[in-house]
Amino acid sequence: MSVTVNTTINGKKITGRAEAATSLLEFLRDSLEMKGTKLCCNTGECGACTVIFNGKPINSCVTLAADAEGAEITTIEGLADGASLHAVQQAFIDTGAVQCGYCTPGYIMSVKVLLDRTTKPTAEDIDEAVSGNICRCTGYAKIVDAIHLAADRLAGRA
Amino acid sequence: MEYFAPKSISEALSLLDRYGGEARVIAGGTDVMVDVKYKEEPGCLINIKAISGLAGIKESNGGVRIGALTTIREIETSALIREKLPVLWEAAHQFASLQIRNTATIGGNICRASPSGETLAPLLVLDAKANLVFSDKETAQPFTGFFSGPGETSLGVKGLLTAIDVPYPALASRSVYLKHAVRGAMDIAMVGVAVLVTPDAAKNNVQEVRIGLAAVAPTPIRASKTEALLRGKPLTPTLVKQAAEMAASESSPIDDQRSSAEYRRWIVEALTRRGLAQTWKAATGKEATS
Amino acid sequence: MAKAEFSVVGSSPGRIGGVERVVGKGVYGIDVMLKDQLHGGILRSQYAHARIVSIDTSEARALRGVHAVVTAADTPDVRYGRSYMDRYILARTKVRYMGDPVAAVAAETPAIVKQALKKIKIVYEPLPVVIDPEEAMKAEAPTLHEDMPLPKNLPEGAKVKNVCGFAAVHVGDPEKAMAEADIIVEEAYETKMIHPQYLEPRMTAAQVEPNGRITVWANAQAPFPVRQEVAKTLGVPLNNVRVISAELGGGFGGKGSGITSGAAIEPICALLAMKANRAVMIVLDKAEETISTTIRAGAKMYIKTGVKKDGTILARTGKVIYDAGAYSGFGTQAGSRCTNMLGGWYLMPNCHIDGYVVYTNKQVCGPVRGPGGPQAAFAVESHMDSIAAQLGMDPAEFRMKNMPKPGDKIVGVAKLRDVSLGETIRIAKEKIGWGKVKLEKNQGIGIATGSWIESAGPGGGAVVKVNEDGSATVHIGKIDMGTIPGFGIPMIVAEELGIPVSDVTVLNVDTDASPWDAGTVGSRGILVSGTASRLAAIDAREQIFKMAASQLEASPDDLEIKDKQIRVKGTPAKSVALATIATNAHNVIGEVIGRGYCDNLKLMAEEKAHGSSQPFTTHACVVEVDPDTGNVKILKYVAVHDIGFPIHRAAVEGQIEGAAAMSIGQALCEQVVFDKNGRTMNPSFVDYLMPTINMMPRIETTLVPGYPGAGPYGAKGAGEIACVPPLACIANAIYNATGVRVRRLPLSPENVLRALKEAGR
Repeated sequence: MSVTVNTTINGKKITGRAEAATSLLEFLRDSLEMKGTKLCCNTGECGACTVIFNGKPINSCVTLAADAEGAEITTIEGLADGASLHAVQQAFIDTGAVQCGYCTPGYIMSVKVLLDRTTKPTAEDIDEAVSGNICRCTGYAKIVDAIHLAADRLAGRA
Repeated sequence: MEYFAPKSISEALSLLDRYGGEARVIAGGTDVMVDVKYKEEPGCLINIKAISGLAGIKESNGGVRIGALTTIREIETSALIREKLPVLWEAAHQFASLQIRNTATIGGNICRASPSGETLAPLLVLDAKANLVFSDKETAQPFTGFFSGPGETSLGVKGLLTAIDVPYPALASRSVYLKHAVRGAMDIAMVGVAVLVTPDAAKNNVQEVRIGLAAVAPTPIRASKTEALLRGKPLTPTLVKQAAEMAASESSPIDDQRSSAEYRRWIVEALTRRGLAQTWKAATGKEATS
Repeated sequence: MAKAEFSVVGSSPGRIGGVERVVGKGVYGIDVMLKDQLHGGILRSQYAHARIVSIDTSEARALRGVHAVVTAADTPDVRYGRSYMDRYILARTKVRYMGDPVAAVAAETPAIVKQALKKIKIVYEPLPVVIDPEEAMKAEAPTLHEDMPLPKNLPEGAKVKNVCGFAAVHVGDPEKAMAEADIIVEEAYETKMIHPQYLEPRMTAAQVEPNGRITVWANAQAPFPVRQEVAKTLGVPLNNVRVISAELGGGFGGKGSGITSGAAIEPICALLAMKANRAVMIVLDKAEETISTTIRAGAKMYIKTGVKKDGTILARTGKVIYDAGAYSGFGTQAGSRCTNMLGGWYLMPNCHIDGYVVYTNKQVCGPVRGPGGPQAAFAVESHMDSIAAQLGMDPAEFRMKNMPKPGDKIVGVAKLRDVSLGETIRIAKEKIGWGKVKLEKNQGIGIATGSWIESAGPGGGAVVKVNEDGSATVHIGKIDMGTIPGFGIPMIVAEELGIPVSDVTVLNVDTDASPWDAGTVGSRGILVSGTASRLAAIDAREQIFKMAASQLEASPDDLEIKDKQIRVKGTPAKSVALATIATNAHNVIGEVIGRGYCDNLKLMAEEKAHGSSQPFTTHACVVEVDPDTGNVKILKYVAVHDIGFPIHRAAVEGQIEGAAAMSIGQALCEQVVFDKNGRTMNPSFVDYLMPTINMMPRIETTLVPGYPGAGPYGAKGAGEIACVPPLACIANAIYNATGVRVRRLPLSPENVLRALKEAGR
């Protein structure tokens, strides 16, 4: 059985159809061919599929596509302003926080929400924001550097 | 698989009547979506998020009514819950990941009825009640009778949880939820211990104590024998040790891929001991352990 | 070789390919979409050990939307593997672990694939299962591979079973020397299976081209061996197969199809595409990965060392039981490495270690990040601390007491050229506050060292083409999984050609066009492809100088390139644009194409003559142990590494931090858990616990300069070595905190608490 979904993704109104059991992640990647949001554990345990849903970071793999009805969703594709990268995107490149890059979109979405809230994130703030985002490449060191660099830049301290 | 998004409780109930065990109710989806993908697809999926009036936190009758569709994050960010029901707040705060908390609902956590459900031991020690509706009746049932087995509750296949009512504990009481896990984030509790203690006016004896244990029995349980042991007595180090050991013996954990039963019993003992000491100190200023 | 001043190597420019990744472009294998592609799925064994009695695919074939169903019957009787050719791509007569592929389906939707797989009827005759490698070696154990011979080099009179590899270390006369020891310490250590858990699932897509060739898209680390494996197992000519590498969302040695008898999916996908006559794509589920694909093996290690009172090591004997899993995979190599490394990297005048690589009914050992190393180091470096404790000696001092010097030999290395090990210990002690830091109750400090030799073997080439505008396109055979193609390689080419890094493009591997390469594994990226790229860029530069020389009326030796200009040294006014020469090349030599190759034989000869310049490391940490629960928290962690010259500093640090984190995960929370029937009990991330940011200490990396390696500009391979020390480092700190030594991984709360209780704490 299929459902129609009317939603807004990265500021653009989208209408699509999907099987009822389709996850938001599958809807993005397969129906809309937006490959930026990543498929990994598919069970809500790794954060690779994080998107911003009505202002909150969620795991799109365990969210029904049908629940996107009427929602405002931001994916990684919606962050840069043309050729101008968002501060979080640039900071991830600049500190070496991007190795294979597979966790990166999910991370950036989680970090963006954090830094929208505060540009002075404490260690607890960072743990809260991204302990649901697994990275296997970096050991997290340069990711923490990127979060602080982006925060400094957004606050005009760097 | 059929799919419905009922707009009212009665619509949802009549769907449940019709489909019975073939139906799965989906709220946030963080558990149900995984089942739909990796177990048998249900005959029908009933998405209840369109039903209004099922979310929200409101003071009511000397306590708080929390709608079943209230997200864990909403509970975590509620100043009211943090102040008045801190043991529930602590469970919400240690729940999975931020992404999950933004979507998962307390109703979902309750109805999933996993023995290790994060909010369940706190709800047991808070003497909370579940508001259930069926097509032919409505009841309010204390959580202490609500869980009958892993994944099994008084809802059966046709009931709906609409809200929970949590009375405020006595002003003098203090509570804590101690979750034992490996990583400190994202984990399912290997053992969960909720302790609520109320000292008497002189702050000498235990007037009331409630101990909830999760992940160590087919359902979350109250350690009622342990509670009986403690009630009315001064909380000495010896008594704490005895109580902790009794709580461990009241649990019936299994060996599974996460840990052995023996280890879980050790942890019940340790966390009950810590929980009693912590809450007693917070409530009376006194040390309960040597 | 070393330049006094570099334009770009040694710095940390933004990753080439970084922008694509931060804006969410679909560069990964899992993002591939072929026209009209079908979905593919694999049916895996439900038994850890069984004979296949019959397979009936008729109902599956009849399902609407199913375009192909394949079993072993659709393939030639050809086995694949590495040391032992012991595996079929689809099980033929037996299955040997739950996860062993038996059949595969191509259908129009994933739901139909799922249904079709359910409809394949397989009759199994279950056989006894053996999970423990020591049990598997006994005479009464079930035989896993009836027609695989035992290794020819087994010791005389060895009565063993299910052994697929044997290695031994023999140095001096350990029996005699042991008799002269003042103190003998004898211990047993054990590590468990972990999974590399790269985040991007493995995939393959395949389609048959109009001319009958098969194109395979793979997120595999070794595209050329994959090509070989597809051709061989399907019985098609090598040149009929083309493998295009996608960029990888992590690999860590777990995507090593083609170089091991791991669970190859590329030939299965190609076969489906041939049968369906349509493009087919298989994407593995993450839980499916844990149960089926290559892993880091568990090992049991017995180690006994005799020392003099003053701490001088006299002799060591030992035994390694290396758990290869159901097929030999990379087991023989990894087990051999583990056996050698059990001899340690200190002075070891007498040593005898036997290492057995054993079949069990579990997932197969792959070349996972430092294969064999972390296991051996857990034993060796914990054991060193044990000995130090018995001697009443500081653990760091004990190590320094047995420190090799330049020119010395150690187990497995005939001659060391220079030895940075002592320096890394000194710096690690300083960084962690050894002997200085104030430790609270239940806190402890630990140290552990390590080494890792870039793995031997054939190299790979590089081709550098200089385009008309002076930009360069680089062809190497190594893939991008977050290592050299985005970092070191473009920098090396930019350095040698005097152009900006942004003007260098490194292409994805296409076996039709790229130079052959053995695979992106073994810390060989910078050594092999880095050397090859540098030589290719120098070759290109020499062609450029030759053409420019006549124009500038100078000798080629007098020229230099800087900022895209070719100039006469000392006379900057005499210059010509690189673009001009590169364009003019069309009339002179056709095109500037430089070619380079990392001459492995030359490297080996140099090492033989001058000694090995291998990397060393010391890690140190402070931990806090919860005496009631056994939880271990790492409060501080330092990693001190000699990796020669860091071409991209942040990338090298990133490799160290990532590898250390992987072993910290193995130490604290990771483990593949089995029931007695061989079923994996924790395939998904719910219960396969990956380390999260909140539990990971800030890994503080220090690079130690001054010990050049064999790589370009003196670089050494950095991808794996940091995996080696953490297990013992943490275990040693736990011992320091509690007085209890945990000898079995993981150092999980349960294992630690159990050890504390057994010791009466």
